[in-house]
Amino acid sequence: MKTFKSLTGWAASIVFCISMFHLPAFAQEKPTLSDAEVASVAVVANQIDINYAKLAKEKSKNADVLKFAETMASDHKAVIDQAVALVTKLGVTPKDNAVSKQLLSDADKTMKTLRTKSGRAFDKAYIDNEVAYHKAVISAVEGLLIPESENAELKALLQSIVPALNAHLEHAQMVQKQFSGK
Amino acid sequence: MRTAKTIFPIVVFLAGIILYLPVNFTTAPIAKPQTHVVEIKQMKFNPAELTVNKGDTVVFVNKDVLRHDATETTGKSWKSPALASGQSWKVVATKSASYYCSFHPVMKGKIIVK
Repeated sequence: MKTFKSLTGWAASIVFCISMFHLPAFAQEKPTLSDAEVASVAVVANQIDINYAKLAKEKSKNADVLKFAETMASDHKAVIDQAVALVTKLGVTPKDNAVSKQLLSDADKTMKTLRTKSGRAFDKAYIDNEVAYHKAVISAVEGLLIPESENAELKALLQSIVPALNAHLEHAQMVQKQFSGK
Repeated sequence: MRTAKTIFPIVVFLAGIILYLPVNFTTAPIAKPQTHVVEIKQMKFNPAELTVNKGDTVVFVNKDVLRHDATETTGKSWKSPALASGQSWKVVATKSASYYCSFHPVMKGKIIVK
């Protein structure tokens, strides 16, 4: 039991360390973003999770993983629709920037790694990444995007998605439990 | 003429009593079923715990942007369809039940039938 517990502890620390290095876009020095750039980061961050979900729907046969991926695809699409409706109303065109580009290039690498895996190894890698990704996105939304938003409606929209991101994180952690320690 | 004039109000009065009484007697002993609203907002069922009388109606209203549902936990009793933003669904409470959102299983609620 002791060995098992310490192994799980080690595994958790390794996953944590990997996720810290794996998501440098959010960890670097805080950039300055215009509302158009905040909107771009928000759309890109949601689209990335939709892409992960699409891959999971192709590759996984696990019912819990599939159900989770389905929710991710649907919820993040709803958030994008909301963001697009708002920027259209405000007359803002989302603008590429260092943060959104970094997010995309990191996601590209993660997608490549995920594509090499299958079966249980894929399910575990997908869910581990979802836990790490949602943690990173929550801290980016709270620590960067909300403070950087000047427009009150854009700020309010970002604040309103935090509870959903937290629910996604808890859901991912729930699914992750079935893959831990084995 | 005089007799008709005096009798008319009495007839109206008696008719009123006859019509009113049966209604009053049949409904008085049973509590009227009530309707309760559970709002789904910011990834929470509100109120998360609701106490009702047997036969009351519980209406789930989705005030979130995301789709949700209300699924009785054992999976044997009731389940709402997927509720898009602004949609609602109702169930008549016959016994206590725990429920959750099948899209977001961390969202939970409880209906307690007295």
